[in-house]
Amino acid sequence: MPDTARVFTYALLTAFATGLGALPFAFVRGISPAVVAWTNAIASGLMLGASFGLVAEGTQYGAWETVAGATVGVGFILFTQRLLARSGVRFAHARGPGAQRMLLMIIVMTVHSFSEGVAVGVSFGGGMALAVAITIAIAVHNIPEGLAISAVLRPRGASLAACVGWSVFSSLPQPLMAVPAFLLVEAVRPALPYGIGFAAGAMVFMVLVELLPEAFDRARRAPVALIVCLTLVAMVVFQQYL
Amino acid sequence: MTLHPTLAVLTYSGLALLSAGFGAIPVAFRQRLPPSWLGWANAVAAGLMLGVAYILMAAGLPRTPAVGAAGAVMGIAFLYWTHGVAGTQELELDRLGDTAPDYGYQLLLVNTMHAAPEGIAIGVAMTLSPSLGAFMALAIAVHNVPEAAVLAAVLKSRGLTLFQAAGAATATRVSQVLFAVATFAVVAAAPALAPWALGVAVGALLYLVMAELLPHCYRQAGHTSIALVAILAMGMVVLLAGGAP
Repeated sequence: MPDTARVFTYALLTAFATGLGALPFAFVRGISPAVVAWTNAIASGLMLGASFGLVAEGTQYGAWETVAGATVGVGFILFTQRLLARSGVRFAHARGPGAQRMLLMIIVMTVHSFSEGVAVGVSFGGGMALAVAITIAIAVHNIPEGLAISAVLRPRGASLAACVGWSVFSSLPQPLMAVPAFLLVEAVRPALPYGIGFAAGAMVFMVLVELLPEAFDRARRAPVALIVCLTLVAMVVFQQYL
Repeated sequence: MTLHPTLAVLTYSGLALLSAGFGAIPVAFRQRLPPSWLGWANAVAAGLMLGVAYILMAAGLPRTPAVGAAGAVMGIAFLYWTHGVAGTQELELDRLGDTAPDYGYQLLLVNTMHAAPEGIAIGVAMTLSPSLGAFMALAIAVHNVPEAAVLAAVLKSRGLTLFQAAGAATATRVSQVLFAVATFAVVAAAPALAPWALGVAVGALLYLVMAELLPHCYRQAGHTSIALVAILAMGMVVLLAGGAP
């Protein structure tokens, strides 16, 4: 298989892996406020844990670049929030703030996948062993991402099929970006810390500005805090073993 | 001049302790701090603690993830349990004007309980490297100021003089010093415990932020301003530590 086709195929597989993260939510149907709070807590823990890993990685390339990227990421969330609030959005049978959160989540994760795709593409320049390792790492890391997305979508009324579909969709930038990144490795590498920082900043900000406030509104704070912390620790450890 | 390590821990955490006294200064100027100021102060504290937790994780975790995680779970569970036992899980730390006698004691108890994991964090950081220990103490010292400000404001509104309020706020942080020195001494004597101590510190810090600081923030000021302040504080910690020690 020619190299670019191989890069694309590997990255496509990582995108499909994201859909697996939706499966645990086959059993969640209720949209009671407490369920929203707890699934927000799960999503928050996963996203914070992922961001910790991202920052650790990005700062290896450069701390200032990572923070600069994070600043842009925060700005992106603010901008998207304003945009969605003004447009009175409807999504997956929901409207209002619920729909806004779902859309915001999908947008964040999709944009975040661009930098993951770049990471996959760049890794192919380092030999097949590294490429396979990175691909597996990203595929497995995608599963909690699908979980986080579904945690936001499912309790707000999205069907399981929609959760799987949007999870996969959010990772499609990975195969799309992997090929150009592979072909343009030298040009792309300096941008990596910015991209990583962007993803981390966007995710952390979204947790702080949307997911956590909503969770604390709808359930008692001790259980919410417990879920966030335990999920965070699990995610960080999980990433260590990749 | 290089300090003997234990003395260094004592000095750094002692300075952090004193910084709590500074928390009373804004209270001196305004009888009632507007809730949004308290919220932002808490948000700074939350952001700093999250940043500190990240630094500790990045420093220690790569070597012993499983033990670190177990320690973190222990730290989280312990705080969850003690709050449950003390009946303070839903306690609001900023009820200006609440004059119930119990509230004062609960407030002081909770603040003391909070200061302990912060002390552990300083002690643990010190075992990793003196500069990290100094940096950690600085972060906690800065974080002490808004936390003490909140406590002093409430105590003052309950009728204590400024001096008494500042003194009480500072005193609750004595446990920081105790735990910092104790943690350092224990880990120095038994290095195998280091990853556990690290994990416990991280878990406890995370739980404090999630269960106490952030929920309060969101009630005191708007979500967006809170999120911005917190993430700013986090970013500063990450940047100042060069991303990872």
